[in-house]
Amino acid sequence: MNMHTVPDQTTINGVSYNTKPGQRPVLVDKCATIPALFKQRCQSMGDRTAHREKDLGIWKTYSWKDYWNHAKWIGLALRELGLERGDVVSILSEDRKEWAYADMGIQAVGGIASGVYTTDSASQLAYLINDSDSRFLIVEDEEQLDKYLQIEDQVPGLLKVIILEDEGLHDLSHHRCMLIKDLYQIGWDTDIQEPEAFENEIDEAQPEDTALLIYTSGTTGMPKGAMLSNENIMAAIEAGARRLSVYETDEQLCFLPLCHILERDVSIYFPLAGKCIVNFAESPETVFNNLQEVSPHTFTAVPRVWEKIYSQVLILMQEATPIGRLAYGMALKAGAKRGDYKIKADKVPTGVAINYWIWDRLVLRNLRRMLGLDRMRRGGSGAAPISPELLKWYWSIGVPLVEGYGMTETAGLATMNTRFENVVGTIGQAVPGYDLRIADDGEIQTKGLNNFQGYWRNNEKTAETFTDDGWLRTGDVGRLDEDGYVTITGRLKDIIITAGGKNITPAEIESRLKFSHFISDAVIIGDRRKFLTALIMIDQENVEKYAQDQKVPFSNFASLCAAEEIKALIRTEIDAVNKEFARVEQIKDFRLIDVLLTAEDEELTATMKLKRSYVEKAHGHLIEEMY
Amino acid sequence: MSEPILKIRNIESFYGPIMAIRGVSLDVHEGRIVSILGANGAGKTTLMKTISGVMDPEKGQIIFDGREIQGQEPHRIVHSGIVHVPEGREVFPLLTVDDNLSLGAYTRNDTQGIEQDRELVFNYFPILKERRTQEAGTLSGGQQQMLAIGRGLMARPKIMLLDEPSLGLSPLLVQEIFEILRRLNKEQGMTMMLVEQNAAAALNLAHDGYVMEVGRIVMDGTAEALMKSEDIQNFYLGVQEEGAREERRWKRKKTWR
Repeated sequence: MNMHTVPDQTTINGVSYNTKPGQRPVLVDKCATIPALFKQRCQSMGDRTAHREKDLGIWKTYSWKDYWNHAKWIGLALRELGLERGDVVSILSEDRKEWAYADMGIQAVGGIASGVYTTDSASQLAYLINDSDSRFLIVEDEEQLDKYLQIEDQVPGLLKVIILEDEGLHDLSHHRCMLIKDLYQIGWDTDIQEPEAFENEIDEAQPEDTALLIYTSGTTGMPKGAMLSNENIMAAIEAGARRLSVYETDEQLCFLPLCHILERDVSIYFPLAGKCIVNFAESPETVFNNLQEVSPHTFTAVPRVWEKIYSQVLILMQEATPIGRLAYGMALKAGAKRGDYKIKADKVPTGVAINYWIWDRLVLRNLRRMLGLDRMRRGGSGAAPISPELLKWYWSIGVPLVEGYGMTETAGLATMNTRFENVVGTIGQAVPGYDLRIADDGEIQTKGLNNFQGYWRNNEKTAETFTDDGWLRTGDVGRLDEDGYVTITGRLKDIIITAGGKNITPAEIESRLKFSHFISDAVIIGDRRKFLTALIMIDQENVEKYAQDQKVPFSNFASLCAAEEIKALIRTEIDAVNKEFARVEQIKDFRLIDVLLTAEDEELTATMKLKRSYVEKAHGHLIEEMY
Repeated sequence: MSEPILKIRNIESFYGPIMAIRGVSLDVHEGRIVSILGANGAGKTTLMKTISGVMDPEKGQIIFDGREIQGQEPHRIVHSGIVHVPEGREVFPLLTVDDNLSLGAYTRNDTQGIEQDRELVFNYFPILKERRTQEAGTLSGGQQQMLAIGRGLMARPKIMLLDEPSLGLSPLLVQEIFEILRRLNKEQGMTMMLVEQNAAAALNLAHDGYVMEVGRIVMDGTAEALMKSEDIQNFYLGVQEEGAREERRWKRKKTWR
């Protein structure tokens, strides 16, 4: 890197960034690549805590030095075993510190890290390994290893499989499999023979080098690997620093899959700049307990998670004593009054503030502590639309929750509301240094250094994704107000043309439906049909609770969905939504999906969203029933 | 099918603040054997106790023979025709076999009928006749279980709730007792609700089954259908899935489909 061209610098929360965002070279503390920043941080942070992870029920701390050493060993060992610059390494694991170690180690020696969801099947794994041409595969444990063993002969390009947990695998002897501790040993030995080798590799990294591959869920066709360069990520870090500020003293909780760009940014790359501490949740099932234990300062989650926390409180309150309920109601009222000002970043009148202060002391503070939100400075929601009522509820209990928008192709971050510039119902303004426009057909298009490099070995798809003048087609339809706030109305691809010739964006109706506590997700059907219908996935917990309160008998999930009272409940929810839409956009009929879907099912994405095409295929009989 | 003889609707039962049954609904039809499967702590025994009135449900209804019986005193429930054969037998150890059986008929006063039923019990469990003067505490585990079932029969119930009749018995004895239960069902038309950990034996015997997990029913169906379910085979019947390696330890997630 040419040091003579360092642009003007500004310090934000103790880290130096370019004064003018969106300019080349994108520098964070004068580093232009992820590995360079990683090196800088590990050197300056040393023994301070980088990660925390629960081991046999106790939170243990791991320092930046551990981060550095393990990444170094992984990087050097992989290089020793045959990894060349530009080769891909796939990681198939739940979130854990080794995920970060591997990500950094791979990138430092010029490799490209590609995450695989633990919910993917063996055949999906085979596709991803072959498509990315992976040289190495890192698997978490025997369960994930078995996926590889099933497809062993379909992935001849793989040199080695590295296993993170040896439990149950002590007797494993397989020429292509090795345990992580043996990999560390190779790295250790290499480090002694070639000191400085790792640092030299890091210095070779260039901003335009591809740093990671993120496979996009691909609701249509096979998943495509989006290539993100060092510069893309640095641009995201730069934008994040201005929009999602973190302090050195912050605690975070990492629980969404790290294969997803959202958690990857927030839990691996942003902390490289922000120096905050990342706590890894034990498992997806224990998130709410871990949240309570960690009580993070910032927390980024998908709407489903925010919804769950809210439901918990709702259920708790229904079962509370009359006095408790009354107090909660009063406190919420006081909180809502203040929230109305806070949410718009207006000044709170003194009377309202005092009233809130009292109720906060009496009720809300305890509620936040119980939920693990007591230290929260900012909650973020992304990856799916969140209901405005839900946002307001969080502001009412004193948790500032803002919505943002991004996709893999924009390095995870495109627009963002902040605590100080917030319009509920929008996804905020474009992040600093990033341009955004609405095309003639309503599509949101972006331009800037966040824009990804293209799809891995798929020039055709890459070309389709960019306009002739170099703007990225997000595929989302939306509008822009005069202050630059963006509202999303739907997906371009999903536009339904009814038999009557009306164009309808189903996403708008679907997200309205999802705002109901009883509906977890919905798919609107109606392309080339006479009228619209919907397939509904109910929210198990809330609907079960409703059924019990209303004395609706049911045994399992299927019988719950079959109950007339539940159908009536959903019908009223749909009727309420129908009122907000024009006649042609109204849902005439619906069916409930009566199997409880899990992330392993093809119909769901890893973030638990329904995939239109799979749902239409798997539940075709339900659709035909309605027409 | 006809109206179920026992209908349970959204029962919730608590141990102090702990919710042991979270809204359970199920049906038992006359003449059928219904088996409840589930791991430790799933709430199976609590469900039985709630039906027989030992525990009172916080919410929900238990409708037996067209009448709501939830929350009634246990003796009235026995009187209305439900008999609970408790887990771990719980015979009166210092009383003789005969006295134990007589106690089973405590709610009745038709001497002739009682004697007939005593003969019926001895017919099904001849060993009890041999030992009728012996103290119950000196019987073997299997014999005590037989006595407990026999004592239950003495109330001439319309339905028997059997809580883990196979507990602590040898496989051979389990077979024997289950065979007798099958005969009782067939020949006497005895309706039974059976809680079991021994899923294979229970599904073999039962007509219908429910699977409970942490206080909820997660799956139900005919015994045949349940036996075919992959989840049941994997988690209750011990069928090993074909794996990539022989010594596979992990199990896939349950889906209950």
